Amino acid sequence: MIQVQNVYAKYINNTNILKNCSFTINNKDFVGIIGKNGAGKSTLLKVLCRILKPYLGNICIEYQDIQNLHIKDLARKIAFLPQYVNTNLSFSVFDFILLGRYPYMNTLKWPSQNDYNIVNQIIDLLHLYKLTNKQINQLSYGETQKVLIGQVIAQQTDIIIFDEPTAHLDIGSQNKILKCIKQLNEKYNKTIILTLHDLNIASEFCNKLILLNNGMICKQGTPLEIFQCGIIEKIYNIQFVIGTNPISNKPYLVPIN
Amino acid sequence: MLFLLILNIVLALVVGFDKTVVKSLFIHANKNIMQMIKYIRIPKIIMICITGAGLSASGCVLQTVLNNPLAEPFTLGISGGAACGVIISLLFNLSSRVGFLTVPFCAFIGAIISMLIVSILSSRKTFNHHTMILSGMIVSYMFTSITLLAFVLSPMDTLYMTFNWLMGSFSIFDERLIIIASAIVLSGIILLILSSNVLNAIYLGTDKSKTFGINIERNVKFLFFVTSLITATVVSISGIIGFVGLIVPNICKSIFGDNHSIIIPMSAYSGAMFLLACDTISTMIFSPIILPIGIITNILGGIFFLFLLIQKKT
Repeated sequence: MIQVQNVYAKYINNTNILKNCSFTINNKDFVGIIGKNGAGKSTLLKVLCRILKPYLGNICIEYQDIQNLHIKDLARKIAFLPQYVNTNLSFSVFDFILLGRYPYMNTLKWPSQNDYNIVNQIIDLLHLYKLTNKQINQLSYGETQKVLIGQVIAQQTDIIIFDEPTAHLDIGSQNKILKCIKQLNEKYNKTIILTLHDLNIASEFCNKLILLNNGMICKQGTPLEIFQCGIIEKIYNIQFVIGTNPISNKPYLVPIN
Repeated sequence: MLFLLILNIVLALVVGFDKTVVKSLFIHANKNIMQMIKYIRIPKIIMICITGAGLSASGCVLQTVLNNPLAEPFTLGISGGAACGVIISLLFNLSSRVGFLTVPFCAFIGAIISMLIVSILSSRKTFNHHTMILSGMIVSYMFTSITLLAFVLSPMDTLYMTFNWLMGSFSIFDERLIIIASAIVLSGIILLILSSNVLNAIYLGTDKSKTFGINIERNVKFLFFVTSLITATVVSISGIIGFVGLIVPNICKSIFGDNHSIIIPMSAYSGAMFLLACDTISTMIFSPIILPIGIITNILGGIFFLFLLIQKKT
């Protein structure tokens, strides 16, 4: 369980980005963080991963403040896929996924047979057999994104955080990536937190949404609760009609011109 | 690769000798020639290999840490500090007063001082690649200015020696110095190879590497310290040899990929081979005059970058 209590955060020489954010995420939740550009979504994720330290408030995982955890212990609890990862590298896909095992290595402990086995299992899981020996800088954007997901899985954490994992992807690739993330949640019981811009996709995959605006949490709840509260219209400044997907029974929004 | 090593060493051993002398080496070795090889050529080859390996391995690591393919050990102002140390020791004629190890010692002190200044300047706030490179450039310019001032004030008789050293030279060496320098540089390279996993993770970007449980600032400081120590040691024995730490790692990356557990040892090996070849050329080209090795590395470096530029345009 992740408990975020009255968190305030800002970058150096900047105004407050996050203001008084509080929420709880239960184990095995699939949580989507939504909001306009600049609402503080990525900053919230960085705070959850301790990349950015909040100047007020605290974040606890299983009742332990993350600021008190050793950096390697934290890396064994939370894996994070940021928006920007340098993939313009001459690394084979296998070696690239193997980098995700870093929290279990140190200067004198290099990859073991167990690490290699874990990477092979991930390659099986994500069906990356054909790409194993390819260089990461030769892959398409969708393939690269899949390999990056493989790398976060290699960290073997209970919580996985993604910052816009479907950005710049076509609808088919978006679906593939999100299904893969959903599988981690349902089959491997991982707690998933991700930021998304597409509200309908967020509704389809997430069981809980957190709506951010100007660094503050406006509303949190199920997709239907979020869509029906009337705040979305104000934040995005657009009128919507709410419908229900007849197959998944999940709500969706259609903007009115 | 082994063939290249053997060929390079044999060439470095015999270059500059007369044909009859070279033949006699394999039939009936002259005692004087053998002593010359044993006490002058072999120690010189060791020094060149240590210098090339140290500069290339450091360059390879700094390019990753500073996230800049044009970074090299001298980007951080270490050479400027070392040059300043040397020129001051020569200006005050310290070598005749204290001992002939004074010049390398002063170069080492100068390099360490510049390294400390860059460390202090760049660690005032959170670590930033640009701050570090900028601090290095500022320190470099400051020390270069002091060096030029001392150069203008120095007597004519020391000018040639100083100039030769500034262009890179292996003329000052001592057995004890070789042992100490080899120990420092080899230990440094081993530490860099052991840090391969950290460097591979740093390659992915600051945010990503932090979530792998890497204390970026601590590791960068450690790697900066090790590379600076290697560079200071190397500069104190060889003078300023530019481009080796820049060209060799870039070529190695284009051939062997980006995995540091492979490219650091390969850069070290290739750097040693490259510098040995440069030394052979510098000895042969205007024989019996031995050119400062820095001239050859700078020319080859220039050609390399011209080639890169033309290739990119096409």
